[in-house]
Amino acid sequence: MWKGLSLRLRLTIVYAGLLALLLTILGATFFVDTRNLLIENTASYIRATAKPVIEHWLYGKKVSEKNRDIVSEDYLRKIARFMARDLTSRNTVALVLDKRGKILAIGKLLKEEPAPPSPDPFYYRQALSGENEVTYILSKNDKHILVILIPLRSGPGSDRVLGAVQLSSPLARVEAILYRHGITLAAGTIITLLLGTILGLLAISSALSELRQMIVTCQNITEGRLDQRIDLPARSDEVGQLAEAFNKMVERLEAAFSAQRRFVASAAHELRTPLTAIRGSLEVLLRGAQDDPGSVATLCQGMYKEVVRLGELCEKLLDLARLEISVNVCKEDVVLSDFFESSLKQVKLIASGRKVLLEKGPYVSLKADPHLLKQIVFDLVQNAVQHTDEGGRLTLGWRLGVDAVQIWIEDNGYGILPEDLPRIFEPFYRGKGVSGWKKRPEGSGLGLTLVKTMVEAHGGKITVSSKVNEGTRFVIELPYR
Amino acid sequence: MTREGFDVSCGSSRKTQILVIEDEDTIAEFLKTGLKYEGYGVTVAKDAVTGLDSARESNPDLIILDIMLPDKDGFEVCRRLRRRGTSIPILMLTAKKEISDKVEGLDAGADDYLTKPFSFEELLARIRALLRRSGRAVKTTELRVVDIVLNTETREVFKGGKRLTLTPREFSLLELFMRHPRRVFTRETLLNRLWGYDYPGETNIVDVHVSHLRNKLGDKPPRLIRTHYGVGYAFYPEEGD
Repeated sequence: MWKGLSLRLRLTIVYAGLLALLLTILGATFFVDTRNLLIENTASYIRATAKPVIEHWLYGKKVSEKNRDIVSEDYLRKIARFMARDLTSRNTVALVLDKRGKILAIGKLLKEEPAPPSPDPFYYRQALSGENEVTYILSKNDKHILVILIPLRSGPGSDRVLGAVQLSSPLARVEAILYRHGITLAAGTIITLLLGTILGLLAISSALSELRQMIVTCQNITEGRLDQRIDLPARSDEVGQLAEAFNKMVERLEAAFSAQRRFVASAAHELRTPLTAIRGSLEVLLRGAQDDPGSVATLCQGMYKEVVRLGELCEKLLDLARLEISVNVCKEDVVLSDFFESSLKQVKLIASGRKVLLEKGPYVSLKADPHLLKQIVFDLVQNAVQHTDEGGRLTLGWRLGVDAVQIWIEDNGYGILPEDLPRIFEPFYRGKGVSGWKKRPEGSGLGLTLVKTMVEAHGGKITVSSKVNEGTRFVIELPYR
Repeated sequence: MTREGFDVSCGSSRKTQILVIEDEDTIAEFLKTGLKYEGYGVTVAKDAVTGLDSARESNPDLIILDIMLPDKDGFEVCRRLRRRGTSIPILMLTAKKEISDKVEGLDAGADDYLTKPFSFEELLARIRALLRRSGRAVKTTELRVVDIVLNTETREVFKGGKRLTLTPREFSLLELFMRHPRRVFTRETLLNRLWGYDYPGETNIVDVHVSHLRNKLGDKPPRLIRTHYGVGYAFYPEEGD
């Protein structure tokens, strides 16, 4: 149930709940504290006003005489009426009790003075036993009355208690204040809660609405519309960061997908051409050209060429697939001078008559797969040979870079057109051709793609620079480790 | 598979001319051989520039145009041809299956479109349809040789005014012979063309059908349909005169 609710609702409920709890605790504490303070204040005030009156009646001018019994019970009985009257006012009514709790006098005389509550034995016994601060609140018909008991002693500081005075005062004024207070608090709480909830809901909604937008975008992307992006007003909070990270991810995905799609389309094209040729040739033969030896020879030669081409294409595609999974890189220590010396013979063989120069660099040993490295070099040499006249020259060499070895393979052939240069590593891409070419070179169009993949499988990179009719230079950078 | 129809008039002196603009050697070669064998005159151009020149000079009846050419793409060639105002039917070949390519091709002014790899038979059918539509093919619903009249539309055959009842195979066989007089067809070729490339039977089924056809035509020596021993059959209309 809870999990079924939207994040927005859940956050709002939690938020509103916490807010309500906090406000209630604060309000209640505040209310109770205020009430206690007000009651205590009232009690202190009543005590403070009563004290001089009582002392005046009981001890008169002998107040300063300590620890002496000044008055007797009889005396108290005599003055009880006057003292009670003196202690009574519009707010407060006094009762004077004797030692046994019997009422000696009631201060109420006028009608508007409140009626005193009858003394409660539980409390007046405490007062009669000498307790000074007996205060309690009495509830009567929903009205609260503050009752204060003051023991009457035979002398100031004496232990002998002759009786007690009960002062009672209705808490109407305090309650009025508290009532106003309570109303204000409750209204404040409700308003704050409402406002807080609404504002919270809005804040959460605005934060989450962008999440909703992201959800929609995600769904669109899932349906294959990879060109979709999350378009949020610039914000640097978590949602903004998420959107930015998400966009970057989709960007890369789109690039990868479109590269993949291009690759598949190109591969399909490369496969379809020989298939068309073979299928068409066979059909023409079957439809009667088989009866003409001349046609049979031409068509069969054509088909043979196409089958060989298909085979090579399959090989290259498999190589590419294997390398892209990138499992078979077995790195070991390769000393470059030894590597080039042992490869030179084969390089010269591939170069078939073209001059080969080796520009040796300093001694260096690096971690690489020697077989892949050999294939890289041979493929690049092969590529150079295809684009160089027979009297051409190839230069191989290496030098040390900052954190990588640079290996170059250079020719002085026809070069590559500037518009072709950025695309030559793309699968199946073949240059438009420079005027020096006798014809478009045969090949799968995967050779350089394969080289690039092999270099990258080593954590290295390959760059190319070329000038038409001057030559081309490939530079491979391989990290030492 | 057995449907045969040659819009190439056997009597006409001018063959229907097809210009093939295709840079892939093997494809150009089989198109040339195959189309020639079917009775068309074929010129091959290996790039767009040569193709455009050739189209202007020889004024072909139909152009087969590959989209991927080394110098320009096929769409551009198509647009240029149309801008010149030629109404020559253009059949485009492409290795791409995307609809956008198809639309672009047709927008550029191509009349039809085939995706590689295509069946040669389908290509022939499309060529025939395009030629018919453009009115460039000689209308040949009726073939006449000696006293035999063959109508390709109604699929009726008359000999000396008398109607013959032929099976569809016999009809196709006779049509093929009448369209290619004096050409020797091996049994294998006849089997492939009439029964399909993947027919598993023996070639003597061809002999059976030829024999039935001869009987229905009342073909007696010297025959119209002659046996070339160890090779196959050929049709000789003149000797019957």
